[in-house]
Amino acid sequence: MTTATAPPGRAGRTAGPARRGPRAGARGTRGEQVAGYAFISPFFLVFAVFGLFPLLFTFWVSLHDWDLLGTRSWVGLGNYSALLEDEDFWNALVNTLGIFVLSTVPQLLVALALAQLLNQRLRARTLWRMGVLLPNITSIAAVGIIFTLLFARDFGLVNWLLGHVGVDPITWQEHRWSSWLAISTMVDWRWTGYNALIFLAALQAVPRELYEAAQIDGASAVSQFRHITVPMLRPTIVFATLVATIGGIQLFTEPLLFNSGANAITGGTTRQFQTLTMYLYEQAFTGQEFGYASTVAWMMFLVILVVAVANALLLRRLRGVG
Amino acid sequence: MTSDRPRRPARTAAVLGLILTSAAAFAGCGGAEGADGGGDTTLRVAIFGDFGYEKLYDQFEAEHPGVTIVETSEGDLGKYNTALTQKIAAGSAPGDVVAIEEGQVVNFLASADKFVNFQDHGSNDRKDQWLPWKYEQATTADGSDTIGLGTDVGGMAMCYRRDLFEKAGLPTDRTEVGALWPTWEEFTKVGEQFQDGIGSDDVHFIDSATNTYNSILMQSADETYFDPDGELVIDSNPAVKEAWDTALGMSEAGISARLKSFSTEWTAGFKSGSFATVACPAWMTNNIKENAGPEGEGLWDITTVPGGGGNWGGSFLAVPTSSDHQDLAVELVDFLTSAEGQLGAFEATGNLPSNPTLYDTPELQQATNPYFNDAPTGQLFVAGARNLQPVYLGAKNQPVRDAVENAMRSVENGDTSPGDGWDAAVEDAEKAAG
Amino acid sequence: MTAQLERVEPAVVRRPEAPAPARPRRRLGVSPTVVVLALVTVVSAFPLYFMVVMASRPNGDITSVPPPLTPGGDLWTNLDRVLSNADVGFGRAVVNSLLVSGVATVCVVLFSCLAGFAFAKLRFVGRQPLLGFVLLTMMVPVQLGLIPLYMLMTKLHLVGTLPAVTLPFVVSGFGVFLMRQFVVQAVPDELLEAARLDGASILQTFWYVVLPVLRPAAAVLALLTFMERWNDFLWPYLVLDLDHPTVQTALSRLAGGYYTDQALVMAGTLLGVLPLLVVFLLFGRQIVGGIMEGGIKS
Repeated sequence: MTTATAPPGRAGRTAGPARRGPRAGARGTRGEQVAGYAFISPFFLVFAVFGLFPLLFTFWVSLHDWDLLGTRSWVGLGNYSALLEDEDFWNALVNTLGIFVLSTVPQLLVALALAQLLNQRLRARTLWRMGVLLPNITSIAAVGIIFTLLFARDFGLVNWLLGHVGVDPITWQEHRWSSWLAISTMVDWRWTGYNALIFLAALQAVPRELYEAAQIDGASAVSQFRHITVPMLRPTIVFATLVATIGGIQLFTEPLLFNSGANAITGGTTRQFQTLTMYLYEQAFTGQEFGYASTVAWMMFLVILVVAVANALLLRRLRGVG
Repeated sequence: MTSDRPRRPARTAAVLGLILTSAAAFAGCGGAEGADGGGDTTLRVAIFGDFGYEKLYDQFEAEHPGVTIVETSEGDLGKYNTALTQKIAAGSAPGDVVAIEEGQVVNFLASADKFVNFQDHGSNDRKDQWLPWKYEQATTADGSDTIGLGTDVGGMAMCYRRDLFEKAGLPTDRTEVGALWPTWEEFTKVGEQFQDGIGSDDVHFIDSATNTYNSILMQSADETYFDPDGELVIDSNPAVKEAWDTALGMSEAGISARLKSFSTEWTAGFKSGSFATVACPAWMTNNIKENAGPEGEGLWDITTVPGGGGNWGGSFLAVPTSSDHQDLAVELVDFLTSAEGQLGAFEATGNLPSNPTLYDTPELQQATNPYFNDAPTGQLFVAGARNLQPVYLGAKNQPVRDAVENAMRSVENGDTSPGDGWDAAVEDAEKAAG
Repeated sequence: MTAQLERVEPAVVRRPEAPAPARPRRRLGVSPTVVVLALVTVVSAFPLYFMVVMASRPNGDITSVPPPLTPGGDLWTNLDRVLSNADVGFGRAVVNSLLVSGVATVCVVLFSCLAGFAFAKLRFVGRQPLLGFVLLTMMVPVQLGLIPLYMLMTKLHLVGTLPAVTLPFVVSGFGVFLMRQFVVQAVPDELLEAARLDGASILQTFWYVVLPVLRPAAAVLALLTFMERWNDFLWPYLVLDLDHPTVQTALSRLAGGYYTDQALVMAGTLLGVLPLLVVFLLFGRQIVGGIMEGGIKS
């Protein structure tokens, strides 16, 4: 598998992700060090000015019982221990993880497949490629209206279709499973194209000869996908998974839109689809609990970290396969 | 490959350089614009919805040469409240004059120092310009700081669909209809009658139990979830449980359309006729008119609400201390909330004034709303507002109210039993009260 | 492996026609790829189409049951109303948005390529921890950070100005990470080695050798960044004043009043989307590789 499909000219490199190369492990030259720091300095400089203060401030606030418009008092880690015993927090966590798994896995797979399709030499290529980004430029308000109309109890398209196969009208917002499903659909609709384009860019760096050679060898499309696309794209897959993880756990807009009307932020009458960010927002702006909300924010950071590490371990094992 | 390498980076470099230079240029001139020219002053007014002040602004500008008033209105009250809160918390404000809705004013009282104290500008001398409880709502507990002056009050009436009533065999004349339901028990009975008469699963009597619940609650007592000491009394205040039981009783009787207020389905319900009545304060008449559209004209009418009166909503105008034109802004607020101003607003939008001296004026007594079959809106809403007793809400009213409404909806939808629903409501209320 | 080699013979024998892509050729006149892509495009574009429908009909139509699916006749009227609305100041808003999004995009792409390259290929002390730090910064939710950021802008006297919505966004952890992964994937060490042997400095290597390779990823990053900056609403809404509107804050002026004229809002949103579509088409063309095709012939 490895040597037979190695591309010509890439002696010494496997079809897997490129590792550091012949000088791996050694420190760079003086020039390299200087260049390294110089090249990363714009990011760190701007971050130091505009990014650091909000982060530190939010952490500082989380150590207080801080009324958004009023008084504050120090509680140390009291908010954090309260949060761990907070049923609504755990509920939001379950909802978030549930929607995350439901939406992210199909999304990334479909995005990868879509990227492969878009990589073909088709006519009007640019139009197809830009077409998949249209969900991201459609106004949020319009998206909200459309999905509400799709999943409405009485006149929604989905219930109407289901009615034809004998299913009673479902109040999609009412139950956990149905709201998760509907929201995942929304999320997938919006973000699959986004990820597809990222994968498409990555595919540009995969030489066509690899695919052509595999075709000559008689490999099927699926086989090419598994043995060329996925390994070659591994760094990008790692990237997309992490970004999707962060986005998925910070999910806010789609579930909020799904709950149009009063009390939208509670994610349903029994919080059946309230995500962590919605809970954060509710605490901050309805409950005026700035301190507690900041605690939720930092707890989310920990959750993302844990899930990201879990993803990384999972992907590491994937490389071992094939 | 080698031929176009030197060309492309050079061109890219040129483009980049151009953009970065212009970036530096516009970064430098960032603060230069926006300064008022000469002696002209611009007053920024930030509101939500429509307060009907256009003509009043013209009048003020005419009387104050050199002053221009610019109004920004946010259609979504939730968005407005969040942005206002964020800005005040960060030490700024969306305008020189800001509107504060009744439900939010209690929060802003906690940071009263961020607003101009109207008492410093003689507001106490003009206290009779407002219903007493309205003035108190925007004053701190110790009575020394008034951060907002009242604009309108919601009042309360019952809006109903004449055509649906007719179909169900009920009277349609508003006096007759009002006489059908002096109490909420009778209202429920009428509802059952309606449901039998209309004979359709798609049409219900009320839009939701929660809307009705709020109307009942706000009529019934001096306090709702909190007592004036700030204690949570949701389980000890009988008014709450009674309102809860009455409203859910309607749901159990099958007369509720079980919709969520201001959701897309609720909005669509006005046109499609999913419900025949909706508790409506003065400001909601505009919502109904817009939601039901021109084809709905004449189908809706207004009559008295069971229980006699009530209040839902109403606003205040405040001047944040971050404003550069505080004195002028205070003057504008005084004008807009004066009798003249409130009358002008009423004529423009139908928002009910909070100034009791206006209630007997011919303008209010004879005001009618053509969309609602020429219903005497002035009289109807005034009657409700005049009899109103002040209701103490408490700082955490909003989150507690949200929790209770959610629990009620859950019972309405059949997800929870009424008993469990009540327990959940109390539990969530305790949590929300923090 | 040997099994594969053995399969070559019968495969060659069995495939008499030209080495075309392994897809059934033009049996129905259109390939399955196109069918799938057409479906995807329809599903992606439908809400945009629905926006056109909503923008071209009177306001109340949207909540009719069943909802309308065909455009009405009011589109031009509504578009005109948006453009001539003085409160909105659409022209100025577009210019501002172009400036803000353009500057942010150029900076993000440039700085992300630099940092991405450094993290991928240059060896300096603390490289991995610093990269880890970049990733960590992406993980904290930003909603509450708006308030301290606002306080910061007040201190810097930037409240209400365009730099307030640009400067915090001229770098992006997302961009750095994206480019770093792409460099790892697409820039072989041999390429850098060859440049070094040719006597190029690191900067020259970056500029003349690496950057061209990064074009597809840079194009996608540019696209996504521009789009994100263009669509940003919450922060500009909070920090900008009426003299410095962006397209999104300007459009929100349309949604005022007691009831929202949804048709007008949709018309405004459509207008706001047009420049994005132009940018899409411009950058979309750049998402092609080909520079590395064939690899380095050793």
